[in-house]
Amino acid sequence: MMGRSNPFSEALKHAVLLFGALIVIAPFYVMVSYSLKSPGEIERNVGGFFGEQAPMVDEKCVKLAEPNREDIAAARAKFLGQNDRAIAAAFKAETVERCTLTPIVFNYTQAFTAAPLLRYLLNGVIVTVSIFFIQIIVALPCAYALSKLRFWGRDVVFGIVIFCLLIPVHAIALPLYIMLSKAGLTNTYAALIVPWTISVFGIFLMRQFFMTVPDDLVDAARMDGMTEFSIVWRVMLPTAVPALLAFAIFSVVAHWNDYFWPRIVVTGNRELFTPPLGLREFRGDADGSMYGPMMATATIIVTPLIVAFLIAQRRFIEGITLSGMK
Amino acid sequence: MVNLALENQTGGIGAKTRASARTKVVSHGRSGWLLTAPALALMIIILIAPVLIAAGLSFSSYSMGSPNFEWVGWENYENLFTRRTYERMFIATFTYVGVVVPVSVLLGLGAAMLVNSLRWGGEIYKTIYFLPVMAALLAMAIVWEFMLHPTLGIINDTLKSGCDVPFVYGLLTSSWLGGNPASTWYGNACENHFPLWLGDKDYAIWTICFVGIWQAFGFNMVLYLAGLTGVPRELYQAAEMDGARSAWQRFRLVTWPMLGPTTVFVVTITSIRSFQVFDTIEAFYPQGGGPGKTAYVMMFAIYEKAIKQNLIGVGAAITILFLLFVMAVTVTQRWLVERKVHYA
Repeated sequence: MMGRSNPFSEALKHAVLLFGALIVIAPFYVMVSYSLKSPGEIERNVGGFFGEQAPMVDEKCVKLAEPNREDIAAARAKFLGQNDRAIAAAFKAETVERCTLTPIVFNYTQAFTAAPLLRYLLNGVIVTVSIFFIQIIVALPCAYALSKLRFWGRDVVFGIVIFCLLIPVHAIALPLYIMLSKAGLTNTYAALIVPWTISVFGIFLMRQFFMTVPDDLVDAARMDGMTEFSIVWRVMLPTAVPALLAFAIFSVVAHWNDYFWPRIVVTGNRELFTPPLGLREFRGDADGSMYGPMMATATIIVTPLIVAFLIAQRRFIEGITLSGMK
Repeated sequence: MVNLALENQTGGIGAKTRASARTKVVSHGRSGWLLTAPALALMIIILIAPVLIAAGLSFSSYSMGSPNFEWVGWENYENLFTRRTYERMFIATFTYVGVVVPVSVLLGLGAAMLVNSLRWGGEIYKTIYFLPVMAALLAMAIVWEFMLHPTLGIINDTLKSGCDVPFVYGLLTSSWLGGNPASTWYGNACENHFPLWLGDKDYAIWTICFVGIWQAFGFNMVLYLAGLTGVPRELYQAAEMDGARSAWQRFRLVTWPMLGPTTVFVVTITSIRSFQVFDTIEAFYPQGGGPGKTAYVMMFAIYEKAIKQNLIGVGAAITILFLLFVMAVTVTQRWLVERKVHYA
């Protein structure tokens, strides 16, 4: 409809969009590429995307395995008739061989061993999953009551919901932090989860959704003698699955990637670090030789959501842009 | 209504059942309150109480762990409006919001229009442009920092290699047109050195804005694409019949007005997000605010003053101002939506 798009203008559009795509992709390209290359290649900016993958020696690994006197004494039997210096040299050759590996293996093993990355990922899963389930447990009954029940004060409650939509949780981080630290909860999982347990947006969204569910369905369930509580979970929940799925994506993406809030309430205790915090800490200690492992960590943190997005693209776009459905 | 119909149909049932059915349908006071109670309690404790606490503390000189607690009146607010640091904070915040919002909204709109008008391949661009929305901004900020490194980064590397390519050099320095290469930005940079980007106070905030735009515009594009599907095709035909020949006229007369509600929403959500910028700033400048405090945005100021330096009173005052800005944006949006911004 928009113009009869001749081949020339079509090509021009592709050129413009392609240029934009290159800029958008560039950091992802650099991130993955650096996670594959050796420190030297990163510093000199050579080696294309994959790097040479020439075997490299992990200096830290060699240093850790430096033989001491007892090791040498114990090994005399193995290297008969050689002096200590030769034994040490043989040891060294052995460890160097053991510590030689390709940059890609080095980077990714370092990502998991230099910092407890698995723990961070697990924390990320624990936090995002708990947040989502608590949000649903709190929001669903409220949304049901606001859409299907008539009771005194309902409009007031809905008014509060609308008012609370104005308050971004990040903005009130300071008073929340004070409250949590007065309660002695900083540096706990609770601190990471509690402020997000109420999703006013979730309530609003579910209420709008339930408004479209016919009243007859609820009435029929009441005729069958179901309590209001079981109507919420056994009648309304199944009807709301598509909306819940979209909300789940919205919620998980926001909290997996969140950096500001964990940064405030988790100080120093590595056991509680979420993936972005772990990466940040990594960056703090990284010297030149650790750029590769750091980019490997970044790749590992970013990959789950990107892959999920590429697989279920439409659902993701639906979920993330959910806040636009008003 | 349903209720009445139900009673008419079941006229034969005993009065007792009917009465109980009525109380069930008409009023659910108890279950209504029970089902909303957890959400209501959490809203009050987690959202409303903190706002009130912040408002209260903003008039005090409170610090955590210190027994001294004094009411200081408007002093914290006065400081915000008189001290140089906070002047820089407001400048940084409003520069960021003022650049990122319009640019990322216009880029989003432009990308959506282009993608929408393509005969093929639109989906691929959509996917690519949406990638930054999914990725953890902190991770990507660290990658950007690498790329922007003055000597090792690939950005200056690429720019530098362009200096030796006559085509690029001629194009970017206008030497083809007989201009003096040294008088252009690119020519000058080739002669001397390329910018330090994040380390240079003349470039820092703009570079941060660039990363912000990079991250945000794909989201706006997707919202605009959704908005474009809602524009009826007949309107374009009608506009053409009325003499709207050029693409620009069709855009001005049909597309832009029809996208009014989308634009209001996109601007609102981008503004609120831009006000909250933190990840990039903290990743680039952990020690605070960037060169000459040119990137000292409000969220970072709250974090630094209140959490790191324990100056809760000032932090609370910034929090309150911040909330006022964000609420003003949202209230304006609702007002515009109620006025029905689409003119069609």
